[in-house]
Amino acid sequence: MKIVAVAACTTGIAHTYIAKEKLIKSAELRGHTISCETQGSIGIEDELDPKDIQDADVVILAIDVAIDKMDRFTGKKVIKVDTSTVVKNPIGLIQKVEKVIQK
Amino acid sequence: MNDIINIKELKQHILTGISYFIPLVVGAGLTMAIGRAMAGSSVANLGDSGIGYWLYQTGSLGMQLMVPMLCAYIAFSMGSKPALAPGFIIGWVAQNINTGFIGGMVGGILVGIVVNLCKKYIHLPKVIESLKGMLVIPFLATAISGLLMYAVIQGPIIWLMAQLTSFLQSLSSGSKFIYGGVLGAMATFDFGGPVNKTATAFVNALYAEGIRDAKTVQIIASMIQPFGIAIACLLARNKFTRAEKETLKAAVPMGCFMISEGVIPIAARDLARVVFACVCGSFVAGGLSMVWGNSSELLNGGFIAFPFFTSPMQGLICLAVGSAVTGIVLAVIKKKVTEEDEKQEVELGKELSDEDLDNIEIEIM
Repeated sequence: MKIVAVAACTTGIAHTYIAKEKLIKSAELRGHTISCETQGSIGIEDELDPKDIQDADVVILAIDVAIDKMDRFTGKKVIKVDTSTVVKNPIGLIQKVEKVIQK
Repeated sequence: MNDIINIKELKQHILTGISYFIPLVVGAGLTMAIGRAMAGSSVANLGDSGIGYWLYQTGSLGMQLMVPMLCAYIAFSMGSKPALAPGFIIGWVAQNINTGFIGGMVGGILVGIVVNLCKKYIHLPKVIESLKGMLVIPFLATAISGLLMYAVIQGPIIWLMAQLTSFLQSLSSGSKFIYGGVLGAMATFDFGGPVNKTATAFVNALYAEGIRDAKTVQIIASMIQPFGIAIACLLARNKFTRAEKETLKAAVPMGCFMISEGVIPIAARDLARVVFACVCGSFVAGGLSMVWGNSSELLNGGFIAFPFFTSPMQGLICLAVGSAVTGIVLAVIKKKVTEEDEKQEVELGKELSDEDLDNIEIEIM
C-alpha cells in the first residue's frame, strides 16, 4: 500500500513528531511505503509531494487540530485518528487501515 | 446537522484555537515580562518611553489579542477562511465585554455555526456567487454573532464567572489545598494533552477575571515532571535506560521554560508509574501554592515567571517540594532496567485480533 500521512497535535512540539516516527516505522514494518508530513509549532515540515498524494492508496491524518492544506486530499480515501491512537498502537492502526482499505 | 456543528469535533476546534493561541501567549507574555523586569518594583518606573516601556507595552498590547486569537481560530477551524475575520471581531467583542476566555470560546463556536449556516442555506445567483465569501458571510456572521454576544451570551457568562469567583474565594484552606492539588494534578496528568489543556482553559479563564493564584499552580506543576523525573534518575540511576538519560538532558532545560512534553518518551515506557509519581508531586505542590495564595502576573514562561509571583520564594519552595515528592515516589516505585528494556526501541504496539481492531477508533472522511 502507498500511504501518505499528516501528523499534527495541539502544541506541535512532541506528539506530532512521535506520531510521525511511529507511523513510518510501523508502516514500513508491515511492508508499506509511507511519507509523512508534520504540522507542528514550526509550521509544515517534510511537506508531502503532490505526486505521492496522487499515487497514494490512503491518506492517514493523525491530527488533534485542524490542519492546513486539507484541499490536497479531495477525492482521496482519508482516515482520521487522534495522535494518541498512533502513539498507543501504531501497528494496530496500520492493520486496521489495511482492513478498511481492502473492503 | 453535522455540517453545521459536529459535537464530536468540537474538541478539535477548541484545541485548534488553543494551538494558535499558545505562541501568542508565550511571545507577548515573555516580552511583557522582560519589560516588567526592567521596571523594578513598580511598572510606573518605566515612564513613557525607553526600551523597558516599549517592551512592556508591546507585550501587554499583545496579551489583549489573546481572546480574539482564540476565538478567531476556533471559528476558523469550524468554518475555514470566511470565519476567520468575524472570529477576530467577535473575539475582540468578548474581550471588551469582559467575558474573557470563556466568552472567546463560546464566541468562536457561535461564529463557526453562523458561517456554516450561511454556507449551507444562502444561495446566490451564479453571477454574484463570489460575493458570498467576500461580503455576505463576513457581514452576516459578524453582525449576527455580535448581536447574540451582547444580547444573549454576555449575561450568563458574566454571572457564571461571578459565581465561580465568589465560590473560589469562599473556600477554606483545607478545600483550597484540594482545589490547588487537583488543578496541579490535572496540569501534569497527560503531559500537555487534553486534560492539561482543559486545566489551562479553566486557569486562563480565572486569570482573565483577575484570579491569578491558579496560574501559579499551573506554572509550577508543569515544571515538576521534568525536574521530578530528573531527581528520580539521580536517586536511582539503574532504573532509567541510557536513552532516557539522554532524553532528560533535553527535557530539563525545556522544563525550565514550562515545556513538559520533553519527558513524554520516558513516560511512554512506563506510563502508569511515571504519571502516578508526577500527579503525587504536583498535587502536593499545587495544594501548597494555592493555600499560600501565591499569584502570578504572567501566563507562561517557567522560571521567567517566578520573579513575578507574589512570592518567588514560595514558588521555589513549592517547586522543590513537588519535584522532590515526584522524584522520591518514582525512584521507589520504578522497576530496574533490564537488558531487554535497553534494547527495546520505539514501542510500536502489537498486532491485534479482529475484535481488538474494532476498538481502534478511526474516522473515514
